[in-house]
Amino acid sequence: MTHLVTFDAALEPVRVPTGTLLSEAARLAGLNLMQPCGGQGRCGRCAVRIIAGSARRRSSLRLSADDVAAGWALACQTVVEGDVTVAVPPQESIERRLTTDRTAREVVAPPGYDPIRDQTIRRLNLTLPPPSLDDQTDDWSRLQTAIRQESGLAVTRLDLDLLRRLGRILREGEWQVTAVVEDGPAEARLIDLRSGHTPVEAPLWGAAIDIGTTTVTLWLVDLLTGRVAAQVAEYNGQIARGEDVISRIIYASKNNGGQELQQLVLETITALLEAACARVGVSPSEVVKATFAGNSTMIHLLLGIPAESIRLMPFVTAVNHVPPLTGRDIGLPIHPAAAVDCLPGVASYVGADITAGVLSSGLDDAEAATLFIDIGTNGETVLGNREWLLTCACSAGPAFEGAGVLHGMRATRGAIEEVWINGATYEPTFRVIGGVPPRGLCGSGLISLLAEMFLTGVVDKGGHINTTLPTPRVRVGDHGPEYVVAWAAESATGSDIVITAVDIDNLLRAKAAIYAGFSVLADSIGMPLADVDRVLVGGSFGQYINVEKAVEIGLLPDIPWERFSFLGNTAVRGAYLALLDRAARERVRAIASRLTYIELSADNRFYEAFTSALFLPHTDLSRFPTVQAARAT
Amino acid sequence: MPVDIPKDKWPGAVRTITLGATPAEGGTRARTVTVGGEKALPYMHFEAEMPYRPVIALEIKDRRPDDWSPLLLEEWGEAASDPASWAKAAEAAGADLLVLALSLTGADGQPTTPAAAVAAAKAVLAASGLPLIVFGPGQAEADNTLLLAVAEATKGERLALGICEDKNYRTIVAAALANDHLVTARTPMDVNLAKQLNILISDMGLPLDRILMDPTTGALGYGIEYGYSVMERLRLAALQGDAMTQFPMIVTPGFEAWKAKEAKVGQGVPAEWGNWRERAITWETLTAVTLLESGADIVVLRHPESVRRVRAAIDDLMTAPVTA
Repeated sequence: MTHLVTFDAALEPVRVPTGTLLSEAARLAGLNLMQPCGGQGRCGRCAVRIIAGSARRRSSLRLSADDVAAGWALACQTVVEGDVTVAVPPQESIERRLTTDRTAREVVAPPGYDPIRDQTIRRLNLTLPPPSLDDQTDDWSRLQTAIRQESGLAVTRLDLDLLRRLGRILREGEWQVTAVVEDGPAEARLIDLRSGHTPVEAPLWGAAIDIGTTTVTLWLVDLLTGRVAAQVAEYNGQIARGEDVISRIIYASKNNGGQELQQLVLETITALLEAACARVGVSPSEVVKATFAGNSTMIHLLLGIPAESIRLMPFVTAVNHVPPLTGRDIGLPIHPAAAVDCLPGVASYVGADITAGVLSSGLDDAEAATLFIDIGTNGETVLGNREWLLTCACSAGPAFEGAGVLHGMRATRGAIEEVWINGATYEPTFRVIGGVPPRGLCGSGLISLLAEMFLTGVVDKGGHINTTLPTPRVRVGDHGPEYVVAWAAESATGSDIVITAVDIDNLLRAKAAIYAGFSVLADSIGMPLADVDRVLVGGSFGQYINVEKAVEIGLLPDIPWERFSFLGNTAVRGAYLALLDRAARERVRAIASRLTYIELSADNRFYEAFTSALFLPHTDLSRFPTVQAARAT
Repeated sequence: MPVDIPKDKWPGAVRTITLGATPAEGGTRARTVTVGGEKALPYMHFEAEMPYRPVIALEIKDRRPDDWSPLLLEEWGEAASDPASWAKAAEAAGADLLVLALSLTGADGQPTTPAAAVAAAKAVLAASGLPLIVFGPGQAEADNTLLLAVAEATKGERLALGICEDKNYRTIVAAALANDHLVTARTPMDVNLAKQLNILISDMGLPLDRILMDPTTGALGYGIEYGYSVMERLRLAALQGDAMTQFPMIVTPGFEAWKAKEAKVGQGVPAEWGNWRERAITWETLTAVTLLESGADIVVLRHPESVRRVRAAIDDLMTAPVTA
């Protein structure tokens, strides 16, 4: 028996026998449907909509119940059982609607942001009464009075350098000046004074900076509107001196290592500042406020504070709440009197990156039990809600930030961010950020690649590459067995882009550390992971992380996808919120005082959890029912 | 006054595994050896019957092992120079089965060839009717080449081939699968790693009644407590129903004990250490008996006197003193 299949995108309908796959019918109709997974119903790229007629779905793994109700079907998994009319959507719209491809949220200023109420930095256009024989008030007092009249702020401090120039600035502007003042935690302070008035719509620049162990991220922000004018990121220049915080601390304690590490991170931040400022055409010295997030070690090294005690029993920091600093103190080319704020940490291994992350995720105000996982070099995890907050950190290494991997790179232009492997031919298809020839693999690309290698049997559950596969993609190279993702001819580097057995070991260790961290954390309060209502994922992954693939490799817990949200870099976002809003800054302080730290190194369950997670997806397969089901199909 | 002994009831059991095949079963062995089947912790006879006794294997080599202790070479004498004679001597010494450990190189210093490995295995099979375990030299490439050749040449004998490790198991498992043999899966003293390797091997389709696991151990005084505890945890997991730990355990106390200074060295040690031979045998025996008590099903020994002593210990342990 044959049936008529009509595709909206094809000129002519085709006639096929009962049981023909829609993908085959499409091919006969002259349509080229994407099937990167080789027609195994895994990638969801061949989704079509059945408008009318009769077809049976053998599998709808990547489709939600709503999708199926709306007529969506995977062409490679759907057989014709009668006459049928099918709509073939454009490829981009398929990629957009796939349920697991979560995109990072656009940065929008916090709703109702009011710089006069919320911002600690004010810019005031002042017109002072000129002095006369009747009014011989000194210049500084005259300015103080004008500021008080305009803003209600009693400014009591300014730099000597500015005091020296004060009289000239006032007179050059003929007593019309622009003052930048800080309504600081202890006192109000004059940061800058210029001749003449400044248009009210002109931006007032601040910077939110997250110093990651591996990646430093900087947002250049207009403090008056909350607009993020530039987002830039670069690897931390300290990486070459140790990949994790412990090796950095050891390096810092030798010779002038501390000074060198401080210099390296300052160079990284300076380069980012210059790049961000160049984008909007201002000088870095225009930046009058900078807020820093980062783990305790990074903050210590930034400030040139010896960090040795963080590493040694009983693991104490020199400082958790860094007092207010200035641009001059810190040695960056921002305004010398700029307000510099380092967000507070909690303990040696729970730094301002976590407190900022919690702020950004809103976890401290959540009703439901929420798990926040920051997939970075220190896999920090927070579990809790508005009543309680537990946290732990475990050293995952830099693999998910694309470092410590032979062809790893940051999630920027040229990075492979998603991969599919054809299960029959072992040929990969990939998507590159910016749509250009690939230069390497970023964190999300590595997660995606490992998941595909696992599902297609290129690696076994132990992560070992199966070198007996009949494909030139698998070979033994200088670093042992490897899989070729892109040949030299198609890459931007002119050489093959590969993932090696060593890379896979690093990825496995990283994912195992993160999984072990949050599973022990949940276990420590007797909460099954399945009872977690929401999972918030943070990390420097560029646009998104494919939750399904992260679950397949056992990085994230196997719970329904709709409970996951991807937040992007939560530390820099937290710094941004604290940069803008004094109430948010106060909330970070409250979070720091509420977090209860679970020390994993003192918990013998951690090692056990780590080694059992050192497997794909996990030694205890019953923890990953959907992965088991997917492999069975 | 009667005392009620509390009894544990376990949901799981260790798999029953048979090594060797008689002519009726497609092999040439005079008898087979069956291990496993435990439904309770070792020797808790009042909780559940232990259906099979733990067994003793004697380790022999394909050529005279110059690195072995002179005490061992003296004991085995000329037999140690010829695998067939050694196999006969080992059977006479009371072994339940044999382990043939292949050398990395021949006496001429050249790498052992597959032909030489096959010849040694065949000679042993011809000389003794005991079931046989064959270990490769412990170097991935050599293990794969030699064990594949041996597996093919001895198809149907239900040998156990070793050693599978997580980085090198595919070829050995494939060879066992194709030629009706078993494998031993060795992992470095860790419950999870043991379980993971068992999963990898069973993922290749090898039936679960053809896997022995070797959780590794240390000799007495060299980490045996750790090995003991890992074996105990593996057995507890098996009894609790974890399918991927329900395999009989094989351990190599002979290899471990004869590495220890106390067994190896006869000169330059304190006089209080006493007679060297007695000390060395005691070291091997105590290591083996300790591991039996933590759940070992097969102990691989080197000295015939140790075989006698360990057998006596097994006899004792298998006599149920308490009934209820």
